Amino acid sequence: MVSKRLGWTLHTLLSHYRHHPLQTLFLLTGLITGVALWVAVQVINTHARSSYQQATQLLGAQASHWIRPAGDGGIELEQYIELRRAGFRQLFPVLEQQLTTSDRQPLNLIATDLLALPMDSVGAFNVTANWSELMQPPFQAWYPQSLAETLDLQPGEQLALASGIRLPAAVIQTQAQQGQRVFMDIGAAMTVLGRTRFSYLAVGGLTPVEQAALSSILPAQLQLVANQQSLDLSELTQSLHSNLTAMSLLSFAVGLFIVFNAVRFSLNARSTTLATLQELGVSVRLLSVAIAVETMILSIIGAAAGVTLGYLLGMQLLPAVANSMQNLYGAVIDHHLLLQPLTILKAWGITLAGLLFALGWPLWQRSQRALASQRSISDDWLQDGKARRMLALGALVLLALALLLYPNMDSVAEGFALLALLLFAAAWLLPVLLAAALAALQSLIPERAWRWRWALNDGWTQLPVLRTALMALLLALTANFGVDTLVGSFRSALENWLDQRIAADIYVNSEKLKVDSVLQSPLIIDHHQRNGVDLRWGLRPAQIYGLDTRAPDSLQLPLAMHNNALAAWYRNEAGVVLANEQVHHMTGIDPGDKITLTTAAGPRKFTVAGFFYDYGNPFYRFYLPYDIVATLWPDAGNRGLALWLERSAQAGGADISSSTSTAIEQKLLQAGAQPGEWVYRDDILQVSIEIFDRTFAITAAMGTLTLMVAGIALLASLLAIHQRRLPEYAHWRAIGVRRREWLLIILLPLAVCVLLTWLLSLPLGTLLAWLLIHDLNVLSFGWTMPMLVQPWPAVRLALLTAVVVATTLIITLLQVRYRLPATLKQLGGDG
Amino acid sequence: MRWLPLLLLLVAGAATADDVYDVLRRGDSGYAEVVPGKTLVFPADHLAHPTYRIEWWYLTANLTDERGQNWGLHWTLFRQALHADGKTEGWTSNQVWMAHAALTTPAGHRYEERFARGGIGQAGVALEEGRFSAWLDDWQLQGDSAEILPGSLHFSVDGTTVQLELDMQTPWVLQGDRGYSRKSAQGQASYYYSQPHIRVRGFIIEPAGEEITVSGDGWLDREWSSQPLADNQPGWDWFSLHLQDGSALMVYRLRHENKRDGERPNEGQHNHWLSGTWITADGHSRALSADEIELTALEYHRVERANDSALELPLRWSLALPAMGDGYRWTIEAMDPHHWLATAFPYWEGPVVAEGSNPGIGYLELTGYQ
Repeated sequence: MVSKRLGWTLHTLLSHYRHHPLQTLFLLTGLITGVALWVAVQVINTHARSSYQQATQLLGAQASHWIRPAGDGGIELEQYIELRRAGFRQLFPVLEQQLTTSDRQPLNLIATDLLALPMDSVGAFNVTANWSELMQPPFQAWYPQSLAETLDLQPGEQLALASGIRLPAAVIQTQAQQGQRVFMDIGAAMTVLGRTRFSYLAVGGLTPVEQAALSSILPAQLQLVANQQSLDLSELTQSLHSNLTAMSLLSFAVGLFIVFNAVRFSLNARSTTLATLQELGVSVRLLSVAIAVETMILSIIGAAAGVTLGYLLGMQLLPAVANSMQNLYGAVIDHHLLLQPLTILKAWGITLAGLLFALGWPLWQRSQRALASQRSISDDWLQDGKARRMLALGALVLLALALLLYPNMDSVAEGFALLALLLFAAAWLLPVLLAAALAALQSLIPERAWRWRWALNDGWTQLPVLRTALMALLLALTANFGVDTLVGSFRSALENWLDQRIAADIYVNSEKLKVDSVLQSPLIIDHHQRNGVDLRWGLRPAQIYGLDTRAPDSLQLPLAMHNNALAAWYRNEAGVVLANEQVHHMTGIDPGDKITLTTAAGPRKFTVAGFFYDYGNPFYRFYLPYDIVATLWPDAGNRGLALWLERSAQAGGADISSSTSTAIEQKLLQAGAQPGEWVYRDDILQVSIEIFDRTFAITAAMGTLTLMVAGIALLASLLAIHQRRLPEYAHWRAIGVRRREWLLIILLPLAVCVLLTWLLSLPLGTLLAWLLIHDLNVLSFGWTMPMLVQPWPAVRLALLTAVVVATTLIITLLQVRYRLPATLKQLGGDG
Repeated sequence: MRWLPLLLLLVAGAATADDVYDVLRRGDSGYAEVVPGKTLVFPADHLAHPTYRIEWWYLTANLTDERGQNWGLHWTLFRQALHADGKTEGWTSNQVWMAHAALTTPAGHRYEERFARGGIGQAGVALEEGRFSAWLDDWQLQGDSAEILPGSLHFSVDGTTVQLELDMQTPWVLQGDRGYSRKSAQGQASYYYSQPHIRVRGFIIEPAGEEITVSGDGWLDREWSSQPLADNQPGWDWFSLHLQDGSALMVYRLRHENKRDGERPNEGQHNHWLSGTWITADGHSRALSADEIELTALEYHRVERANDSALELPLRWSLALPAMGDGYRWTIEAMDPHHWLATAFPYWEGPVVAEGSNPGIGYLELTGYQ
């Protein structure tokens, strides 16, 4: 009996969705888009993390260890063959190289010998392509689809490099752990790039006995190192994944605003039905059960579609994230996304939670009202004022919580919690501010301008429904402006820093260069030879660099802070070190503190003389004088030679003349360098900025998507408002209101509200950026930068908002135009 | 003869070819051709002939340990040229190497295959410090001089290490017409010579460290060609026998596909290409023509392959050389049917027992069965 009653109650309730397909569409759109973005990021994060687990693998083969040269210069073929012939078949040679294309795009290359991979891993290889063509001249270069698209490369084309070398013909083909890299046979790569040594040997599956045996026969110049990459990557990338999750949760929140609106509309639209049902004797309890079932159905539909869409979206966003990971951390992320059951379950969980939250408030409001008043539409007006005050009160509570949290914040998660509190506080304050602005404007307009007064007054009708959409818009705009400001500040800080840091004209990194012979050239007015070693400090990989303290770029080292010991560093004294800002922010070490570094002769203490800016470096880095590094780490390798060139008077003193560059390239070739082993300053700057832009492409994509979700919220609200008010419009038309007047009436309040929302997003976005730069960035990555508020992102957002509003308005007006005649007819019939 | 094919993975269409043995049927575009009348010169011809498409160094041995238990092994190094462009050294080398090692123990059968590119020293056949050496990684067949034999063989399979001393008593046997071995009426041929009388002594070290002393008879085949198989030859059945009186026998049959309907692939022997060699204990050889050999499959066995599929293979045979007399008649049977090698080029190879008035032991190889 009860189930039958529940059945028809549900049937009655659900018929609403059939009668209002557009509202149904919006409700689902809100749910689906919100869930989809969250799922997309979840899928990507899970996938990235599982990729880090696979960092013990290389191109499908196990790589538990590496054999690396103690210094640098790579590994000789003979050394490798000797080890293979000694029975160490777990070894395979790898060449990794950063390349620059002729149009200054950065490109990573990885190459190995497929025939040398351990047999059990060969199965992991994709053999649809032809191995012999990969290995035999004219060779092939294998690109993953997304990389080929980025480089605008067609199959069969030969990519031109900045060095003038052309890579072999492109084949669109992906291997395990290839990531966003071009893959070549190692023989082909050595031949084409003119290399004579491998980067390192990868070692798969060593038993302890084999490891001891290998260590014992390894020549002194080579070292066996455990592959700790998966550990390092998990540690290093944690913050980036938190950032992505936070942005996806923001999108979900924006999506919830749509849902909130739609749910409220659906309850409002059905208030008559609900009241009738109650009058017919359906108990409140049964009604609640029916609504709960309805919610469950919606949540399942929303989650299922959201997960599907999210998965597809994840596939679209993956190349951008993979690029970020590759560029920032050297992490290799594959292209095959996996959807885990847990993600689906979580997606359904948050959908249900979101729906219950969206339902909770209106239901509570409704329960507060008397049964009789539930049929009155104008009651909303009264209720709206009350709701605004409640929201404002809530906002104050959130603000208070934020203020409490701020001084005690010491983790990335707390940082994001603070941002969430602030954003929601601002969003909840918005309705009060909008109402105040409307009231103020109304009082300013003279009595005679009755059309304007009418229009503004109409705002009070629109506001209750528009409110939520505007809150969503505020969130989206604020997040976009804040992140734009952050990225813009970072970009400009990076540019300035690179300008200072990359001061020499040409940088040479060559295995076989005879430095003395190059330096004899009269074209060279100064030079800087660096050395270095990689080691671990704390839990992370660290880089030690030996600098020539009298070189021009050393003298202008951009320092974030320093103490008196700096002079000792410049005097090449032992025991004094400069560290990057990351060391200061991540470990709390201050200038003057002592740190311990592991030298070849064992641990040794150094006094920190200061911290230099080192934007975007995920590793700790230490600068010591060149000779100190050479003494303490005899294995330290060459870290490149920087050259300052003479500027001819004709070239205006700024640019290097082409004759100078031709002459110096000639000199480098004579001194043993290979083409492609040197790079000009301008190219480094351009490539660095290119890498930066690619790295932050994901941020831009997420921002745009969030704004789109907000746009949908706005569209849904406008449609809801106008659908409800169609009879009213018909009345107006009947009493002779012209279309232009009607447009003014509905447009003016909307324009005022959107404008105010946009204006409010600017200081809020700035505050968000400030927090991101001064607190979250330091917590996440360990570096700071000056904040730079630029007008352009604000203008861009204004234009974008205008486009969104105009689009939704056009759709709405078309709807109204299409349905008004019918409504008028109804009105006539009724009359 | 050993028609074991090469590294098809590397040759066009590896993943799509229905028959990996197709590589052996390719026409000789640009490769050196096998022609009659060439005089084989030793030790020079022990080394690689990179202008020919394929080549191998193929050793089998029937061994017994001190407790009288039977062991068997085969070790092969294959060379293949991917192109006829003559580049053999460095990273652009067109040479590719493949090696197989299989060990028959009293407990079962173990095998491994390995690959290496040519030109970089990871694998090859060359004189190293004046000694013949054929190697891939740490697997190595090494002569004491520029000659292959006497010499030694070192390899390991699944953690079991094999270390053997090899010695020969009799001269090399040139197969076919002074080393020119025809494989079909259409002109397919190879250069082919063997050493059927190798004395083998050495030890096998089990993964647990147990050292087993073994000794026995070995057989080494050397062969190179550019197109050994005709289009209608799906594979072959090859026998090598060490007989009680010290003589040795090699017989092979290249199966032809133009069999009658309803026949098993290796019935109707009149259609197949038959050839063989009789070698006396002191190393004198006599080529056997097709009409001197009677070879019939007696029994088929179900043999498990790697991927849970099974194959019917002829593992019991009757062989007779009626022209040589009544005593030249044997029943040959595989010691253990489970000797399928699921390698890139899959085949069956294992030790056999020959029963007759002059009994013996040896090796059987069956290829091209699908």
